[in-house]
Amino acid sequence: MMSGHNVSYLEHMARQIRRDIITMIYEAGDGHPGPSLSCADLVTALYFAVMEVDPANPHWPRRDRLILSKGHACPAVYAALARKGYFDPAELPRLRTLGGMLQGHPDMLKTPGIDFTSGSLGNGISIGLGIALAARINGLEYYTYVITGDGELQEGIIWEAAMAAKHYQVGNLIVFVDYNGIQSGGRIAEISGLEPVIPKFEAFGWHCQEIDGHNFTEILSAVANAKATPAIPSVIVAHTVKGKGISFIENNNAWHKRVPDKAEWEQALQELGAEP
Amino acid sequence: MIKYASTRAAFIDSLTELAGSNPKTVLVCADSAKVIWADGFKERFPERFIDVGIAEQNAVACAAGLASCGLIPFVATYAGFITMRACEQVRTFVAYPNLNVKMVGANGGIGAGEREGVTHQFFEDLGILRAIPGITIVVPADASQVGKAVKAVANIPGPAYVRIGSGRDPVALDADLPFELGKTRVLKAFGDDVAIFTNGHAIPRALAGAEELSKAGIKATVVEVHTLKPLETEAIAEILAKTGAAVTVEDHSIIGGLGSAIAEVIAEQVPVPLARIGLRDRFPESGPAEQLMDAYGLSVGDITAACRQVLARKEGRHG
Repeated sequence: MMSGHNVSYLEHMARQIRRDIITMIYEAGDGHPGPSLSCADLVTALYFAVMEVDPANPHWPRRDRLILSKGHACPAVYAALARKGYFDPAELPRLRTLGGMLQGHPDMLKTPGIDFTSGSLGNGISIGLGIALAARINGLEYYTYVITGDGELQEGIIWEAAMAAKHYQVGNLIVFVDYNGIQSGGRIAEISGLEPVIPKFEAFGWHCQEIDGHNFTEILSAVANAKATPAIPSVIVAHTVKGKGISFIENNNAWHKRVPDKAEWEQALQELGAEP
Repeated sequence: MIKYASTRAAFIDSLTELAGSNPKTVLVCADSAKVIWADGFKERFPERFIDVGIAEQNAVACAAGLASCGLIPFVATYAGFITMRACEQVRTFVAYPNLNVKMVGANGGIGAGEREGVTHQFFEDLGILRAIPGITIVVPADASQVGKAVKAVANIPGPAYVRIGSGRDPVALDADLPFELGKTRVLKAFGDDVAIFTNGHAIPRALAGAEELSKAGIKATVVEVHTLKPLETEAIAEILAKTGAAVTVEDHSIIGGLGSAIAEVIAEQVPVPLARIGLRDRFPESGPAEQLMDAYGLSVGDITAACRQVLARKEGRHG
């Protein structure tokens, strides 16, 4: 719920989550910093101002759900879940380690608070469609949020789901596109361009908004607008910076998947407002 | 005279009954409502009928989402479109999270795809699914068994696949026979010279082969293995130990299905001569079901010849 929270609190929490992201990747020695930092503000807004959830009861049937379709950005969600109280933040450095609860990509059976397994790209909206339809069949009221990467809009199943979501009028499905313009292999515009994105979703019958994905006021008001159009699915195209918040990672695709060394980690923490 | 009954009708009748007693039951189609004769279901349970159109990946992923909310979705369309077009969704979003999604694949086998040709004849479905951890895989004998198998898989948690046919499917077994998930059963025991393991609509051919061999003094035991996963290996090993020779008969590629499953038990537990009857690593063509199966290595003559060959190897003669 938005009430009781303010933007400075969310900014403070997002800095904490960014510190957690870079620290867990540094300590674990593996992970995707750029993609995680890119959606860190969206994830923060969802868990700390938008979604109705209960960390003590992660399977609460009436909870709002998040599917991180771009599963490789899971350090952002793991950090948010830990800070929200689903599990001890001391678990974070055990990312990607044998026997740990934090898999390389989200696993709904291993990590409390992960609503759905993800990692193979393009599938989040379809799964969200199923979860959104289940609310109707089960007579429950909740919202299903999906964060997709931009590059994964190249997958065909995205558009299968987009078509069906309109047909079934799932107004409780709200999709964020984390639009940083860079996919694993380079600039999207150079690999297989997506534009125009908004007219594509409009043509599929979705309620469309375009925001700065690092501006909490815009994120929260876009969610409110989406909820105000209950009969159709909503997409919020969030313009973001890959690696946001750490100067040498921002827009540098070498950091799509890379581990900082000690000096880099220390500099990152300083930029994020903390001493290592 | 072969009698026919529709496995598709049997499936939808059984599912409709389940839906009547369990409000969590949902049917997910990919423009396949006509294929599986779902009009009655759709009329009775419109709110639990979801058709995403010709989009199988979306159908399976959407079903996974439904299942994560406590529903029991049955995804039903052509076998190959579930197991090949949507293979990764089945593997990563159904099997890996161990979700309660039931998959029902029509046109399983060349005899079920028959005149449609290769694009609609699916002889790899079982091999593909067997390679994925955690999916219960069932190949019921005929329509009556399909009805019971659907209820059996609905009663267990977790992913399951039930293979069905064309809608014109040979009646293989007595309609009164029960269906016990996970169990092999002896359908006919002439003797212990050779074991014939079989399932699905290949069963009448296996039985005919055993009958013919019996007249020639070769005593076979015909064993139905309707549950390919989990495989009842102990019972199979026991039969292998008794007969010392085996033939598998299935409407599937000899790679990956029943033939492979039995070969694995043989190689690891009871090394005995084996011959596999099925599609031999090639593409078939259009044709009437019975002619097609005769032409592609599943004739009764092929079965009896394979039995004679393994017997010769068992007895140390050249087969």
